Amino acid sequence: MEFGTLEREIYIEASPEIVFDVVSSPEHLKGWWPDDARYEPTPGSAGEIVFGDRDADGKVVPFTVVDVRPPRTFSFRWTHPGDQAAAEGNSLLVTFDLTPSGGGTLLRMTETGFREMGWEVAVLEEQYRDHVSGWDFYLPRIAPYVATLRVRP
Amino acid sequence: MAGGVDDDLWSAIGDPTRRRLLDLLLVDGGGTATSLSRQLPVTRQAVAKHLGVLDRVGLVRATPAGREKRYRVDDAQLARAVAQLASVGSAWDARLQRIRRIAEAIQRAQQD
Repeated sequence: MEFGTLEREIYIEASPEIVFDVVSSPEHLKGWWPDDARYEPTPGSAGEIVFGDRDADGKVVPFTVVDVRPPRTFSFRWTHPGDQAAAEGNSLLVTFDLTPSGGGTLLRMTETGFREMGWEVAVLEEQYRDHVSGWDFYLPRIAPYVATLRVRP
Repeated sequence: MAGGVDDDLWSAIGDPTRRRLLDLLLVDGGGTATSLSRQLPVTRQAVAKHLGVLDRVGLVRATPAGREKRYRVDDAQLARAVAQLASVGSAWDARLQRIRRIAEAIQRAQQD
């Protein structure tokens, strides 16, 4: 099992065309995720999404469109450093796959890249500087959690 | 990173050998690079390197044991990793519910 993969499926009573628009257009993205979104919904388009107020202490996150195949697939990379092109290893890849189903749409989302990100020990060391520890738990609980992350009938 | 996930923590437990090491340390209550390498198909040096990664993200703690270090799992930091896994999943659950509500509202509006 690839530990760094998150998978979800949800059935939506709307056509794939509508669902595709909702998951891919910057205008709609703002309705379900960031406070602002600036990118062209075309492959390779580099833009950004913003959480909070861009001019105050909001967080601006790079967002690069990878694949656009309406109404079936939309994918993008995010969280790469602003001065780098999005690629495997420096970002998370989110893919939406849409399948027509019973008059509606089965929307499948996967997010991968946790494992590749920050893989180099040097990066780990650098990122570790501001770490805080705390809490209380055990490894056996990871498996059940991962199961809930990956499988959602 | 948005969403509050520590990439290095994810990476540390993203490697199968390191998860196996955590398993062994939990089962045995601790171990050294030498004792752990006897139970795994990797060299002592490789085990030591993996333990170093786990140590840097706080998942294990080392105490001197003769010429080696003895490692134990840090339950608190492990709990933190598990909680983050859960929080990423629930964040996407919430986003997908919002996607569903928006799309279904548009569909209904088009049918009216």
